[in-house]
Amino acid sequence: MLLLTITAYSVAGGVDYGAGIWDLLAGGGARADRARALIDHAMAPVWEANNVWLVLAIVLCWTGFPLLFQSVFSSLYPLFAFALLGLILRGAFFAFRHLDDSPRTQRPLSVVFGLSSLLAPFFFAAALGAIASGQVAVGGPNIPVWQACISPMSISFGLVSVAATAFIGASFLVGDARRFGMPDMVDYFRRRAVIATVALIVVGTIALIAVGLENSRLFTGMLTGPGAPFAIATVALTPVVGFLHLRGIFRWFRVLSVVVVGSLVIAWGLAQSPYLLPWQLTIAQAGAPLGTEVLLLVVTFCVLVVVLPSLGLLVYFDQRGALGTPEA
Amino acid sequence: MHFLTSFAAESALVPSRVQMAFTLAYHVILVPLGVAFPAYTLLMEGIGIYKKDPVAIRIARRWSVVMAVQFAVGAVTGTILSFEFGILWPRLMGRFGAALGMGFAIEGLAFFLEAIFIGIYLYGWTRLRPRTHFMLGLALPPAGVLGTISVLAANSFMNTPRGITLGSSGQVVSVDVLGALFTPALAYEFWHFLIATYIAAGFLVASIYAVAWLRGRRDHYQRLAFAIPFTIAAILTPAEIIVGDLSARALVADQPAKFAAMEVTWKTRSHNPEVIGGLLNDSGQVNFGISIPSFDSILIGLSPDSVAPGLTSVAANARPTIAEANLTHLAFDAMVGLGSAGVALTVWYFLVLLFRRRLPQSRWFYRAASLAGVGSYAAVETGWVTTEVGRQPWIVYNLMRVSDAVTGASGAFVWSMLSVLIVVYATMAVIAITLLMKLAGRWHREDAGQAPTAPEEGAPYGPRSEIVSARRPRRAKQGMSWIFQSLITAVVAIFGLGVLIVLVIALSFLGLGAVARRSIRGLRRSSSS
Repeated sequence: MLLLTITAYSVAGGVDYGAGIWDLLAGGGARADRARALIDHAMAPVWEANNVWLVLAIVLCWTGFPLLFQSVFSSLYPLFAFALLGLILRGAFFAFRHLDDSPRTQRPLSVVFGLSSLLAPFFFAAALGAIASGQVAVGGPNIPVWQACISPMSISFGLVSVAATAFIGASFLVGDARRFGMPDMVDYFRRRAVIATVALIVVGTIALIAVGLENSRLFTGMLTGPGAPFAIATVALTPVVGFLHLRGIFRWFRVLSVVVVGSLVIAWGLAQSPYLLPWQLTIAQAGAPLGTEVLLLVVTFCVLVVVLPSLGLLVYFDQRGALGTPEA
Repeated sequence: MHFLTSFAAESALVPSRVQMAFTLAYHVILVPLGVAFPAYTLLMEGIGIYKKDPVAIRIARRWSVVMAVQFAVGAVTGTILSFEFGILWPRLMGRFGAALGMGFAIEGLAFFLEAIFIGIYLYGWTRLRPRTHFMLGLALPPAGVLGTISVLAANSFMNTPRGITLGSSGQVVSVDVLGALFTPALAYEFWHFLIATYIAAGFLVASIYAVAWLRGRRDHYQRLAFAIPFTIAAILTPAEIIVGDLSARALVADQPAKFAAMEVTWKTRSHNPEVIGGLLNDSGQVNFGISIPSFDSILIGLSPDSVAPGLTSVAANARPTIAEANLTHLAFDAMVGLGSAGVALTVWYFLVLLFRRRLPQSRWFYRAASLAGVGSYAAVETGWVTTEVGRQPWIVYNLMRVSDAVTGASGAFVWSMLSVLIVVYATMAVIAITLLMKLAGRWHREDAGQAPTAPEEGAPYGPRSEIVSARRPRRAKQGMSWIFQSLITAVVAIFGLGVLIVLVIALSFLGLGAVARRSIRGLRRSSSS
């Protein structure tokens, strides 16, 4: 039972991180206003995948860990409401901007799109920060909701997320600009990637201090516990990516950016495991009954077997589309 | 000031219900097209391929764009709904998530598949051979059906919870997966709703071309685009009435209070009249309305002696309030009325088809047909109101009250969230409609002789239009080799077969036989009591 739950957790977590990374990728893209055409072009195939991953993550969470879901949403609903607002505005306005062809309406659409791209990653990460700070009580809030929502940790997690989003987004856009043969845009996003690296290091340090002050047990878990290798990977590799961009070395930078952001999340996850809500609710306590877990595994298996190949096919078509013109 | 503080302290129950109703009502508008429209589009494409009719292909290609636009909006409203389960009803999910959530987990899978295959379908128009493209598209209708089953499994669990073992404090301790997924209500809810989506989508699409007919467009394009969806919706309409009748009868046993509310029956009795219109008052009398003596009893058990359950057979705090019962009743009557109007239109259509051997030519027919789209949507909405309001005050029937599931957030918070959502939804509606009008205008000009464009270019999920920049010109590649295309076809065929097998298994659980059995059981119970 425990084993199954852990498997389900790691899968659900994996999906979660996937959602996070897509989100980051898309969100960061929005910051750069001038390169709208490139961003639009680069993001078209991924933006809808965002929503789908996220819905899947939420659904897996409430089915697999109902009590966790109840606790988190009861305490942190304002954060989720704002994240949701950002999410829907971004999705809708990206689509509409993509379809609209009159320059008069382009500007306001883009502004809304950009702002909403900041909202979503900030508030989602703030929710994670609030969970990590240990302020979320099992079942329902035992302190005023605003206290659970607003803490040094939630705010600093939100800022880290925005910086990380910008960082990985810029990194990927450098790659896209190269692929589409737009040298001016390569330099444009390279500069931004460097700036984002510096920002990430600064807010990352602040966040680490916040963790140390507010939840020292998590702090030690991150630096000496199972999360340590991942934490160290993030700390060590962030400057490396910045350096690569600074010197214009176009190798490995995308993979490394993914590693940086991915290990950041994993470091947090491992540092508080086996607790879902730090020091209160463990995975085993929150898990749904056996039958449900089995069904979730089947669904996850279907996602892996059926969805990923078809997603691959779609991406393949898209890449072909980018290479050749349609022959109709 | 006093008003403000009391406002802030108000329970979130009312605004949460209003918000859920609003967002769901909006989402339900998008569902029929999402589930059923791909099937119509594929049928049209199939006709185009089989009869080598370029006009049919052109229609299918344009429909696929509309499909994508509305699916994009549906994806957004669906995401909002999944958040609302947490923001508004955290305790529902905390307590029953392990059972209720399973349907949604499967729906997540179906939604994923649908999104991807809509993308592939749109991309494929110019990149695949017609047959391969058609085969790939065949994945869409089963994905829609899978999504319908799974969401309705969750809803049926709320209506007739089964397959769970409750612990001492009411928490779910074990879940029987099949039992909790295939609850009794699913058998009738599934068929009733699935057919409804095909009818609503068919009538809606046809109604657009009925308007075109009234405006004087009477070519092959208009005839084809009108006749195909209209005929299918028309065939299904009488079937829907039968399934609906079986569903209502099954409710006598499954949810007597809901049935009593639908028929505004106060006391359990035989020779119960069928009341059309009319409102129940606090003392249990029905004012206004037309009453047909004993007809409700006849509908339940084919005899005036059949016993109809009354609202008072359930404790006052466990049944809908008078206002809720009246709303349920009026919504139910509206749904049945619209359904009957649909049958009348259908009979008209088939009589003309049968005796004149051609499509109707009467202006009045097309006027009626152009209302059929809106009418069938109204029927879907009222049917949904009937089932949801009729379940009150329960969120999970007889196990959890709506008031026990609601968030601890303040009423003010939920009200403000609701107002933001209203603005967002209104904006989405305006933009989506503008967009569709623009597309319609473009297609109209094309048909009048301008050079055609690829309709799916730039649509959500569709291929990206070429980027405007200093790109190195590259040589256009040839289409994919036939080996590769055959390979894809084989993969999709295997996938389709798999989905089909799963569906057949699922459907055998849900066979119409099961619906019939349930309604017979309801019939026996009502005549024995």
